[in-house]
Amino acid sequence: MERIVNDFTINIATANGTGSQSANLILLQTMFEMGVPVSGKNLFPSNISGLPTWYIVRVSDAGYQAPGDRTHIQVLMNKATWEKDLEKLEQGTVVIYNSDVKLPVERDDLILYPVPMTKIARGLNPKLARMISNIVYVGALAEVLGLDEAKLEAALAKQFGGKQKAIELNLEALQLGRQFVADELEVSDPYVVEERERDPDAFLIEGNEAVALGSIFGGIGLLSWYPITPASSVAEELIDHLPKLRVDADGKSTCAVIQAEDELAAAGMVVGAGWAGIRAMSCTSGPGISLMSEFIGLSYFAEVPAVFWDINRVGPSTGLPTRTQQGDLTLVYYAGQGDTQHIVLIPGTVEECFEYAWRAFDYAERYQTTVFGFGDLDLGMNRWVCKGFDYPDAMDRGKVIRSQEALEEIPEYGRYRDVDGDGIAYRTLPGSGLEPILSRGTGHDEDGVYSENPEIYAANMQRLARKIEGARNQLPAPVLREEEELEVGIIFYGSMENTIQEIDDILEETGLKVSQCRVRALPLHSHVEEFVNRHETVIVLEINRDGQMYGILRTELPIELVPKVHSVAFSDGIPPRARVYAERIMEVLEEVHK
Amino acid sequence: MTIKLNIIELPKSDYQGKPSSLCPGCGHDQISTVIINAAWENGIPPERIAKMSGIGCSSKTPAYFLGKSHGFNTLHGRMPSVTTGACMANKELCFIGVSGDGDTASIGMGQFVHAIRRNLNMVYIIENNGVYGLTKGQYSATVEKGSRKRKAEENRQNPIDLCAMAINLGCSFVARSFSGSKKQLTALIKAAMSHRGIAVIDVISPCVTFANNEEFFRSYGYVKDNETELHSPDYIPHHTPVEEVDIPAGEYQDIELFDGATLRLETVGNEYDPSDAMAALAAIHKAEVDKMHVTGLLYFDAEQRTLDEELTLSDTPLVDLSDDELRPSEQALADLLAEFRS
Ligand SMILES: Cc1ncc(C[n+]2csc(CCOP(=O)(O)OP(=O)(O)O)c2C)c(N)n1
Ligand code: SF4
Ligand SMILES: [Mg+2]
Repeated sequence: MERIVNDFTINIATANGTGSQSANLILLQTMFEMGVPVSGKNLFPSNISGLPTWYIVRVSDAGYQAPGDRTHIQVLMNKATWEKDLEKLEQGTVVIYNSDVKLPVERDDLILYPVPMTKIARGLNPKLARMISNIVYVGALAEVLGLDEAKLEAALAKQFGGKQKAIELNLEALQLGRQFVADELEVSDPYVVEERERDPDAFLIEGNEAVALGSIFGGIGLLSWYPITPASSVAEELIDHLPKLRVDADGKSTCAVIQAEDELAAAGMVVGAGWAGIRAMSCTSGPGISLMSEFIGLSYFAEVPAVFWDINRVGPSTGLPTRTQQGDLTLVYYAGQGDTQHIVLIPGTVEECFEYAWRAFDYAERYQTTVFGFGDLDLGMNRWVCKGFDYPDAMDRGKVIRSQEALEEIPEYGRYRDVDGDGIAYRTLPGSGLEPILSRGTGHDEDGVYSENPEIYAANMQRLARKIEGARNQLPAPVLREEEELEVGIIFYGSMENTIQEIDDILEETGLKVSQCRVRALPLHSHVEEFVNRHETVIVLEINRDGQMYGILRTELPIELVPKVHSVAFSDGIPPRARVYAERIMEVLEEVHK
Repeated sequence: MTIKLNIIELPKSDYQGKPSSLCPGCGHDQISTVIINAAWENGIPPERIAKMSGIGCSSKTPAYFLGKSHGFNTLHGRMPSVTTGACMANKELCFIGVSGDGDTASIGMGQFVHAIRRNLNMVYIIENNGVYGLTKGQYSATVEKGSRKRKAEENRQNPIDLCAMAINLGCSFVARSFSGSKKQLTALIKAAMSHRGIAVIDVISPCVTFANNEEFFRSYGYVKDNETELHSPDYIPHHTPVEEVDIPAGEYQDIELFDGATLRLETVGNEYDPSDAMAALAAIHKAEVDKMHVTGLLYFDAEQRTLDEELTLSDTPLVDLSDDELRPSEQALADLLAEFRS
């Protein structure tokens, strides 16, 4: 039999809240330490304990990170999904299952490895048997795949954070699982993990933690938040890291963290803090953005810096709160009342999560407006390989007048007067005594004085549009990977970055060479238009139903370019699988070329 | 003619705002005048004050006082959250928040109670007329049972008493007053400015346009005839030694405030102890039953920690920290990455 090395998908079916997450992370960390390109995705229910959870591990020398097309190794732990999980498996799939679960495995076309996980776990500690049995399957997998024992043990110790008792107990479970497979089973499948050269700089990190760290290095002064999956961990990681990174010489904090009563208040605090001169942000998901929208409109019109991270999930209300989507793009781009348009930064990697988190503050203060960070559950709550973070550039605090002399240098100062011709006016801060005004959402003239004058209102709105227009090419440019053919171009964004290469390769197998353009910000950089211009047909690929980026492109591209742009939008809550999107792309192209 | 100056040698004109555009006779304008007087007499530098408001006729008034102070006329019901953020940025400013009964007791109820719960360091004035003035006089949630505004049915729902609510939440300074009681209101607002922590002052402030008929419990006529004063308050600033102030003839009680000023409560009728929350609630309840308005300092507690203290924020206001103080060093990032890589 031919061996299949570093190219398969493991699916682990467990129940939520049984400690399986620790077991899965040990598995992931071990393979990562072995230098094997690996990614793990947690498909979890909106529930604390008891409901089914699947963890998908993709092992791929090609570097593919999306869940694969099929499962090669299935771990069965959960009674509730047992039958269905089995039914779905293709012929030849390896099944490692807990043979103490009194449920049948009636398929003779599978490779079966029954392991008495509960019995083994009970033998070690009857009270903790449920938790420990998860580590037993890690041991069994380790033996089947040939994982490095020392690295496995190190990963386990890391996971249990130096708690000696837990480490010892789980280590024993691990070894017993391994031993059982070695002694009692005849391993007859082709799947093996082989060590690769490990990049010493790389580590695994969740996108949300990278956002938290980027904000801390961005000089955040206030975080106000209201708990919501999948954004909470941005706040929680910030809270964890602040004591080490942001205390002054007296041991006091240089960043206020407030758990607000709701997202209305969270946004209000951000706007208040931004108005008073510090860098403030909140993190939330779609439902929170809805509640924040009135403040976002105020921030736009009164011109107050504010940063909001939207870690997208499936809506509305609870929707599918633990599932991923790029469903809020138009929501954030136009949030607020009347004519609005916001800067949106869209990281596609954990490195960019860090970078855009500090840059968001620079843009917010430069343009005196709301800046969104646009993430999603997939990028935010799963662990990704990270090469490290670059130290931020010097802070851009924007046009803030801090002294009488500086004020006098500005000809005809007015809070909303465009003296530099870039649409951005100067501002003074409360407490400075310099040219105070009553800031407000009400109509105001160039001096910040209440006005409902039609010409003044219209001119002010034009200036605001000019201001944001000026940001367009200052924002991160798209990442382009172009083919010479310039036939088909694919525009995509955000966490689709982790699936695009596999999609590209699937298309290439059919003889189709596509160029890639990963959009990293709104409003769209002019390079995006040029990309569209250069290609014969352009597909906009995204994880939602309606093609929201496609809609924005249709609105913003010159009208003659619109006919060559087509949408491939799909979302079912599961992180994108390459083949699903590749097939849809081919369908659309077929339609176009008819 | 010499212009009268305050202790920091500023004329009162430095504390004035733009001319009011409210209806002539509106209670809110009286309160603006009192705020100007209180800030001027207390000698607070105008640039050290931030005026905050929500939306409503009442919330428009920051345009009409303290023209040399920065201000933010925010969103309907959201003044407390904006003030919270601003206060975290610059905890040394004196925040004066102005709101209405619609702004606070309906749309903004959540933010009101949470600002109290956090003990945000601010003065929170509710200009309470029992109606939504700016949207043409609909009943608000503070209107009393049995009260009736012009051309309308009598209100039959129970009112929300913001002072009782604040006391129940452990608010450190709770007072009720009347826009027409200039002396009492001035003393209370001055004391609120000298207090550290949240000071809630619920001020009955008649809406002359939509609700000033005798059958409305918040009309000028009704309040004048049905006000029970707990005491007669007198404010003695920190720069005037208390010993040098004439001792009142009758009973009195001195309350020491955070900045060294004193609020002297001269007893009017029965002895009233503002440190007794139950007595305060009883007085409010009795007034409601009697269809009266009880005014004065209802409750006071100097012992509570404010939000910025609770968060142990840096002594220097965050807005005054340099970029270097706000951003961890390159070494800190290198150490962090090394830790991740180990
Ligand atoms: C979100 C929102 N909803 C409704 C309004 C309309 N609105 C403006 S003022 C107001 C009521 C104000 O009443 P109150 O706070 O009592 O102030 P008053 O005018 O009586 O002083 C309402 C409902 C608004 N501005 N914003
Ligand atoms: S409508 Fe009522 S509350 Fe508004 S300004 Fe006129 S009198 Fe005052
Ligand atoms: Mg009102």
